[in-house]
Amino acid sequence: MAGLFALACVQVTLLGLPSGFTLPLVPVLVICRTLLGVGAALPDVGLSRALRWALYGGMALDVFAATPLGAHALALLLAVLVVAALTRRLRVERPAVPLLAVLVGMLIYEAVLALFLHPGAIDWRSYLILVMLPSVVVALAPTLPLFFLLRRLLRGQL
Amino acid sequence: MRDFLDDRPIKLRRERSPVPASLRPFVLAVGLCLLAGMLVLLDRLGVITPARQMLQSLTAPVAQRLTGLRDDIGAFFSAPRGAAALEARIAALERENGELRNQLLRLEQAQVENHFLRQQLAIQQAHPWTLLGAEVTVRSPDAGRRMITIARGSREGVRPGMAVIGQLPGTLAALIGIVESTGPHTADVLLITDISSQVSGRVIHRGRAEAGLVQGQWQRGSRLQLGQITRDLELAPGDSVVTAGLTGALQLPFDLASIPPNIPIGSVDQVRVIDQHQIAEVRPFVDPDQVRYVWVIISQDD
Repeated sequence: MAGLFALACVQVTLLGLPSGFTLPLVPVLVICRTLLGVGAALPDVGLSRALRWALYGGMALDVFAATPLGAHALALLLAVLVVAALTRRLRVERPAVPLLAVLVGMLIYEAVLALFLHPGAIDWRSYLILVMLPSVVVALAPTLPLFFLLRRLLRGQL
Repeated sequence: MRDFLDDRPIKLRRERSPVPASLRPFVLAVGLCLLAGMLVLLDRLGVITPARQMLQSLTAPVAQRLTGLRDDIGAFFSAPRGAAALEARIAALERENGELRNQLLRLEQAQVENHFLRQQLAIQQAHPWTLLGAEVTVRSPDAGRRMITIARGSREGVRPGMAVIGQLPGTLAALIGIVESTGPHTADVLLITDISSQVSGRVIHRGRAEAGLVQGQWQRGSRLQLGQITRDLELAPGDSVVTAGLTGALQLPFDLASIPPNIPIGSVDQVRVIDQHQIAEVRPFVDPDQVRYVWVIISQDD
């Protein structure tokens, strides 16, 4: 939990890009953790840990981002849930799987956040083009390095 | 890293498991989603908001230091390379340019106020505001919301609805956002470029002025948009836009009543005519994403 809190702090303070987007370190790590959990020898245990990451990481982001407590957590939990359901029968170590999982997970994450944080009606078409898709592209960039780094870190404990 | 993130090591399987996962984790997920949803609801109702704000206050110093570090790194890479004398000369010219633009805008504002309601005296005062400086501690981590958190809160007199201004080298001081909520020592500022930001504005064109609505457009790929301007006043690129302060003048009990008039916002970039109205794309004088230090307008000297 302390690690996720520190990572959320790093995301909020250090990873802002000049274009106005932020490298979504915590969401990408949580989705990668979900894939590793689903692909573990005990998927139930792995997925439960991924859900804990989603809850802790999301609440840490809420604290740093001044958003209603639970908003980021709920968005991450729903993303984890969908990614786990879609990938539980796949071999998660193929490079395409983490990329697709982050793509799907980030779209869900951004959509849920938009519903929670935007007052009034949302023009979904322009929001998708101008906010969600660029955010997903930014998220995809570090996905594979983070996935394999995380896998290496967790495997080192065997 | 595992010690911080997991309590026990995880064992990766080598082959695809023939046994489908049970529903237990999904039940747990539903439970956690309900918990998160309940937290959101309680926060919206204000039940746990003080606790969140207290956590924010505790983390603000660390976040402020890290944000400062990032800004320093960015400044290092974006700084011009060359002789020190050349840099000093550029800095002096930028200061002079900013002062001249400030004087020009003040002159235009004075002409408009004289024409309408004899408010020239108030406009001629350089800055009739009581300001409170604050460092930017956190910028929004999500692309969908343009907000910053500043290191001043209700204990220092900051209230929701107060205008926040910023200034960059070579620019004049201009509106960058409105205080949305406050904690004891921090405040959340909704940037004017956010799509949910709406401020009454006044566009100045050759000594005449017209009131309109300035709305953020960042999520639509732009910066600001000025709407509800009739065709009686023909807008042109370069026209200045300032706050109208209409709610403040009417002394309405709205949050936005704290925004004084005549705070510079930006200049007109492009103009479109739709039916009997004009819509202008407005370039803000100060890019809210670039500011590191801002001032909250606590009050205005009448």
